[in-house]
Amino acid sequence: MTPDLDLGRAVRALRTALADEEVRAISRRYLVSNGFDGALTSIGVAVGSFLTGVPTGLAVVKIGLGAAVGLATSGVWSVWEIERAEKRAELADVERAMLRDLSGTRLHREQRTARAVNAVASGLGPVAGVLLPMTPYLMAPSIGLLWATVAAVGVGVGVLFAFGSYVGTTAGLNPYVAGARMGVAGLVVAVVNYLLPG
Amino acid sequence: MAAVRRLVIDVLKPHDPSSVQVARTVADLPGIDGVNVTLVETDREVQTLKLTIEGPDVDHEAVETTVDELGGSVHSVDQVVCGELVVEGVETPQD
Repeated sequence: MTPDLDLGRAVRALRTALADEEVRAISRRYLVSNGFDGALTSIGVAVGSFLTGVPTGLAVVKIGLGAAVGLATSGVWSVWEIERAEKRAELADVERAMLRDLSGTRLHREQRTARAVNAVASGLGPVAGVLLPMTPYLMAPSIGLLWATVAAVGVGVGVLFAFGSYVGTTAGLNPYVAGARMGVAGLVVAVVNYLLPG
Repeated sequence: MAAVRRLVIDVLKPHDPSSVQVARTVADLPGIDGVNVTLVETDREVQTLKLTIEGPDVDHEAVETTVDELGGSVHSVDQVVCGELVVEGVETPQD
């Protein structure tokens, strides 16, 4: 098979997967769940770094990058393995009913693409959740570490609000209420970090 | 050898792909003018379909390969019509 045909087939498979409501729903859950983890981790890193006297904004960004790499790897790897097991079990159920091996069929290929989409969504969540709140630290030389930290918490809460609104919208809920319910978690993490002894 | 003008097959398939996808994929094969997919029975994991396929030159092997690739199985070939004229079955006293 030529690379062109291969690429065309991959693009078609990706479009089919993205049009599948079940694939979208599972991907959405992983994206938001891991993005939530990422944003809260980022707020914790921001407040903790400031309170422990990390000297520069760039150092905080580097800590955040480390957290993003860890969480994104966790997101992709765990979902890849979880979905492999889940989808294999689903396929085995259908194979039992069909009395045939379904390896190499369209169903099998669609499951593989769906698993890849789920894993990528799971990895993208924490990347956005961690990196966006870190961006104010790039301006720390001009605004100072205190205001960079305040801005980082604000951006983190904003990211959480966006995730909440997105989930709320898909469920037909009030996006402001749904966003606020998740955004409050960011404030809780910031306050708990601030109140922690030492 | 005379071309197959009509093929009626009984297919068992998983719920996914849908009957619409099956009909479209089979109808895209060369030598086929139209496809009728009728749901015969539905179960928890599988569905039984009756496919009526018509065209100037229906390639039954290509149809079976396509059904197989879609994850289905051809359980039986229920009717084959070949030749210049599409001959309908006629009732006999035994019927």
